[in-house]
Amino acid sequence: MRRLKRILRIAGNDIRIMVKDKVFFFWTLAFPILFILLFGYLYKGGETAPPSAELTVLNQDEGRWGAYFLEKIKSPGIVLKTAGTEPAEYNRLIILPPDFSEKIEARKDQALALKKREDASAAAAARVEIRLYQAIARLLSELVLYGDGDLTKFLDGHAEFRDLVTVKTRYPAKTITVVPGGMDHAIPGITVQFIMMMVLIYGGVTVMEDRKKGVLSRLLFSPLSPGALYQAKLLARWLMGMLQALMLFVVGKIFFRLNLGDVPLSLLVIAVFALATAALSVFIGSLMGKEDMIIGLSILLANVFAGLGGCWWPIEVVPPAVRTMGMISPAYWAMDALHKLRFFQGDFAAVAPNLGVLLALAVVLSILAGRFFKIRD
Amino acid sequence: MLPGRILWYDAFTKEWNMLEIKNLTKSYGDLLALDHFSLTLEKGEVLGLLGPNGAGKTTLISILAGTVRDFTGSVRFLGHDLFSDRNLKNRLGIVPQDMAFYEELNAMDNLLFWGGLYDVPRDALKKRAAEILERVELSGRMKEPVKNFSGGMKRRLNTAIGLLHRPDLLLLDEPTVGIDVQAKVSILDLIRKVGAEGTGVIFTTHQLAEVENTCSRIAIMDCGRILAQGTMEELIRLVGEKDIVEITGNFPAASFTEALQDLDGNGIELLSAADNLATLAVADTEQIPKTMDRLFRRKLAVTDLKIKTPSLETVFLKLTGRSLRD
Ligand SMILES: Nc1ncnc2c1ncn2[C@@H]1O[C@H](COP(=O)(O)OP(=O)(O)OP(=O)(O)O)[C@@H](O)[C@H]1O
Ligand SMILES: [Mg+2]
Repeated sequence: MRRLKRILRIAGNDIRIMVKDKVFFFWTLAFPILFILLFGYLYKGGETAPPSAELTVLNQDEGRWGAYFLEKIKSPGIVLKTAGTEPAEYNRLIILPPDFSEKIEARKDQALALKKREDASAAAAARVEIRLYQAIARLLSELVLYGDGDLTKFLDGHAEFRDLVTVKTRYPAKTITVVPGGMDHAIPGITVQFIMMMVLIYGGVTVMEDRKKGVLSRLLFSPLSPGALYQAKLLARWLMGMLQALMLFVVGKIFFRLNLGDVPLSLLVIAVFALATAALSVFIGSLMGKEDMIIGLSILLANVFAGLGGCWWPIEVVPPAVRTMGMISPAYWAMDALHKLRFFQGDFAAVAPNLGVLLALAVVLSILAGRFFKIRD
Repeated sequence: MLPGRILWYDAFTKEWNMLEIKNLTKSYGDLLALDHFSLTLEKGEVLGLLGPNGAGKTTLISILAGTVRDFTGSVRFLGHDLFSDRNLKNRLGIVPQDMAFYEELNAMDNLLFWGGLYDVPRDALKKRAAEILERVELSGRMKEPVKNFSGGMKRRLNTAIGLLHRPDLLLLDEPTVGIDVQAKVSILDLIRKVGAEGTGVIFTTHQLAEVENTCSRIAIMDCGRILAQGTMEELIRLVGEKDIVEITGNFPAASFTEALQDLDGNGIELLSAADNLATLAVADTEQIPKTMDRLFRRKLAVTDLKIKTPSLETVFLKLTGRSLRD
């Protein structure tokens, strides 16, 4: 009990001194928010993509069903453009052939061509496809219900049939239908980066300085054991990381309508990631004796890990080889888990491998940092 | 072990020495920092530990503090092996040579934090912190960040932190180094008072003047061991009823030593010889002309000659062959 009290007292004191520092808010809030704004707007996408998706239609149908089908496609999320001839530029183009109605009436199957510009938004394309399936399903169901008569009049009397069929599209695993983007990507990304920056730099330098000043030795003049002292230093640096994350998430929630997906699981991912970072900071602080060296190494590690791990841009957009390389970055495992939770309907089982990797890393680094924890030079 | 049990032992410690250090030996590689160092201290004794740079003072304090390990020998404190029970540290106060505290915090917060690591009840701690700030004359500035303090103020705070939990034994490593006279006087005064209240005190220093007026006992150490100890008078008696002659001039140390080589039998003792400065102890001042004669014959230039009565400095010279300040 006394041991725990002493550990909490020392960790609390470290946090208090950090919060008193004038540059604390600059590093934990101002600077990261600048980054968030930059990357948030740079990689807009995902749910914050343009609210409507464009579809160009080339209707060559000679019967009446072509126009009817177009009516079914119309929806607030779709901007429908019609063209007389095949246009040179389009995002997506659907062609209704001259025999479109004829084949319907003859109950013959047919294939419609949907052409997509290669670099157009995948999210918009998905929305258009879903709408097309819905339109096809409606048209077919109405044909079943009412044959070839005037369906509009029938449906006016039978509103209950209007949305009889809804279509849910499923994509094979690994197909990227959504590219994470916007604030929901940028805020966690910059948070993960700044946990590394802040905890490694501040946490590492203070461990080193406290050793040089004789503060660590003096702490041991009390009935405190060296093991408890190490735990206190580790706890303090973990709390620094958590404080950083909570502040950015709260600011994100209030000002940028941040949506993390599963909040408790997201915090768990951040917590394990922060623990690994905290252990690394104590390790670096014990091994190095110069402030410049610690700052240099921390900035290098934090930025390389952030870049490789997908903190700045969604890892989903980089080539597969780079993505594989990113796996050496602890930030990769954190960001990948956060993306699963926010953008890919992930649950605990989905992020368990990520948590496992991060936890193993945290354990290994904690043991290393404990072994090399230096009280005096 | 419970603190209560330590209290129980207290009844007996009056018959025992508060601190018993036996054959403490510590080496750093080939370097022997402590060499079979032995020392005892009784309750309320204030011991000044004098030693030149590298004598092993800090090493000794650090071993007692528990931050330096891998040594041989034993330390008994209040009748126990000092290293057998961490709770014993509640009875031990240590003031390190470094200003080891948080510059960002104010004096009061520093005291509350450091004191809080010991088993002192929270409200008692607050009262004691205010009290001790009064004693070291920092009450007026207790709400100011310590980084604004002068060197002397920081030293006083450094000392205060070691006293807060009212230890039975207080160890101070060069508590007065690098500060102005006023702060020095205040710290020495505090040490004396703490001793008078029954706390055992050991403090290390380079400064002879400090131990002369502050300590009940003085120990002189060099090269990791104690060369002599006792009261001021006892130590000075080691030199004998002699006068001290300090000779300044223009001569190499070796020539000087050679010139006086066989004079021992005449009651002349060479205490130390450095280039251009040498110290002799003479039983009879009438021997001085004879000495000078020898120097002149060898053409060793003498520019000044002072005759003094023996002091602690003489004792130190006699024992170590060097001055404290080299
Ligand atoms: N960590 C260490 N590694 C190697 N040698 C050391 C170490 N600490 C001390 N020493 C050596 O041990 C000897 C005793 O050092 P110590 O610091 O105890 O002396 P001191 O009496 O406190 O000197 P000072 O008056 O300069 O403070 C010195 O020769 C010193 O160089
Ligand atoms: Mg020293």
